[in-house]
Amino acid sequence: MTWLVWRQYRVQAAIAFALLAAVAAVIIADGIQIASHWHSTIAACAGNSTCLLQASPLVNGVVSDLPYLSMIVPVVLGLLWGAPLVAHELEARTSDFAWTQSVTRMRWLTAKAGALLLVAAACGGVTAALITWWSGPINAKFASAFTPGQFDTQGIVPIGYALFAMALGIAAGTAARRTLPATAVVLGGFIGLRLVISNFLRPHYMAAITTYYHVTGSFTPPGQAWILAQGGLSPTGRVVAEGWGDLYPALPAVCRSLLPGSPTSKSGSSESAVFSCMQAHGWRGFATYQPSSRYWPFQGIETGIYILLAAVLIAATFAVIRRRDA
Amino acid sequence: MSAAIETRELSKRYRRVSALTDCTVTVPEGRVSALVGPNGAGKTTLLRMLAGLASPTSGTASVLGGMPRQDPAFLAEIGYLAQEIPLYRRFTAEDHIRIGAHLNPHWDASLVRTRLKELRIPLDQRVGTLSGGQRAQVALALTLAKRPRLLLLDEPVAALDPLARRNFLATLTSAMADAEGTLTVVLSSHLITDLERVCDHLILLAGSRVQICGDIDMLLAEHKVLIGPRKDTGPVERAHTVVHAVTTARQSTLLVRLGGPVTDPAYQAEDVSLEELVLAYMGADEANADKHLMAVGEDS
Repeated sequence: MTWLVWRQYRVQAAIAFALLAAVAAVIIADGIQIASHWHSTIAACAGNSTCLLQASPLVNGVVSDLPYLSMIVPVVLGLLWGAPLVAHELEARTSDFAWTQSVTRMRWLTAKAGALLLVAAACGGVTAALITWWSGPINAKFASAFTPGQFDTQGIVPIGYALFAMALGIAAGTAARRTLPATAVVLGGFIGLRLVISNFLRPHYMAAITTYYHVTGSFTPPGQAWILAQGGLSPTGRVVAEGWGDLYPALPAVCRSLLPGSPTSKSGSSESAVFSCMQAHGWRGFATYQPSSRYWPFQGIETGIYILLAAVLIAATFAVIRRRDA
Repeated sequence: MSAAIETRELSKRYRRVSALTDCTVTVPEGRVSALVGPNGAGKTTLLRMLAGLASPTSGTASVLGGMPRQDPAFLAEIGYLAQEIPLYRRFTAEDHIRIGAHLNPHWDASLVRTRLKELRIPLDQRVGTLSGGQRAQVALALTLAKRPRLLLLDEPVAALDPLARRNFLATLTSAMADAEGTLTVVLSSHLITDLERVCDHLILLAGSRVQICGDIDMLLAEHKVLIGPRKDTGPVERAHTVVHAVTTARQSTLLVRLGGPVTDPAYQAEDVSLEELVLAYMGADEANADKHLMAVGEDS
């Protein structure tokens, strides 16, 4: 079986390998530049954090889109290799050849799907490793590794995405028996599920931590934390998100009048005066966040979810191939 | 002699359409069975169920002593070639030979190579670029290289020109000779003259049902064409089974399955050819279908 799989995919594998190598070269070349730029900035700023943030941006132009590769590689593999795996054999009727050799359909599927899932995981892993390394200085500068967009492209989650996209392609192709509808399912399913999980599920993998602080002060969770919400809390417990637009109507009239630029503002008004006023009226600051220490547990949970879904899809594919007529 | 194929009331339904109904047939080992019938009669459905590619809705099939199943030992003994000649179009014949070598326990690669060299079919050319006849030959040679005990061929010659067809059947006959009675073949085709040349057993399907099944010589001996004056056919129908009747103003021609010797001196009994027999049974089903339609019409 291994030889058949190799014969079927050797050309595509060579092309994929060449593409991946080219992409890797670009990431590495650019990553080296970013890193050296970052190190010289650190040296120049000598520990001054404001100086670090105000330094010239680390990435510019097209290269700033490189992290998307951690999404694109999985979905492309699912589209180009997953969807046709069973569907194209049925369309070209080559399944009649493959399934009447002295090898059961189960073994045939195990070999083919197994090889492609392995390749998907490897490609996802390599891309993720490169992007994680490339993003190092950006993570350090903005403490942003845990935030959506960064979290999704680094660490081990892209491996889960790659396995899921491949499994989805294989399962959809088997169910639809045609490649084209299966590719549509991969595209829609992958994007849709990613949106749902990253927006609605991920913030709740573990109960978030809320810290309260004096509104006159400030609070930033240590390390690469993921801040879910931050703002003011009224004495009655009413949560008001950050930003004066939201805050303004909720403030006591006395404090409101201290805000610069408000219709009733008096002389000597300033933002800090408003904060002192809010503090005096029993307002507190709050930050709801997932602490830095949960980065890897979250990576593990999210990867686990996608691997579990991939396993369900592959099991369903086996059940269909076993039971359904060829 | 044991049976290579034995089915009992084998049926296959696709949603509400019956593809094969109560199919009970026996093909003894070592025979070449012609599977004939109009399009949509269930020939492909029967062959796919025998090859284990489809499962029956009801009834049973015993192929080489067991149920068709997903089991390497069973699959190794079955050679199946579908109508569409399924090969990987981008692969060469040599690629297919190597795939076969990896996937089959008693693979005879030299058989394919020798056969294709005899036919001057290039081994190193993509099979998608070969002619239809060459491709069919490659597929047949690959199927034979498995050294199967049962060969199921689904209209493999349908798309071929007469010469390619003859070559294909020659390959088949020489494989039969090599196998010395251990190879059983079921070959479906519309070309009765081809089948006549290579087959000694017949399964005739029409309207998803088996019309006749048996040894061709015996079937031919059991059937006669009775030609006589146009008169009441009642006595003939009581003595024999009329399969097909054609009556003109003065004469009736009846193809009958004999129930005994022909005693009425008014009829002249003639032997039937395989083609006449097949057409009579296929026509009989059509006549039944017409009757059925009329009956339905009367009901409504």
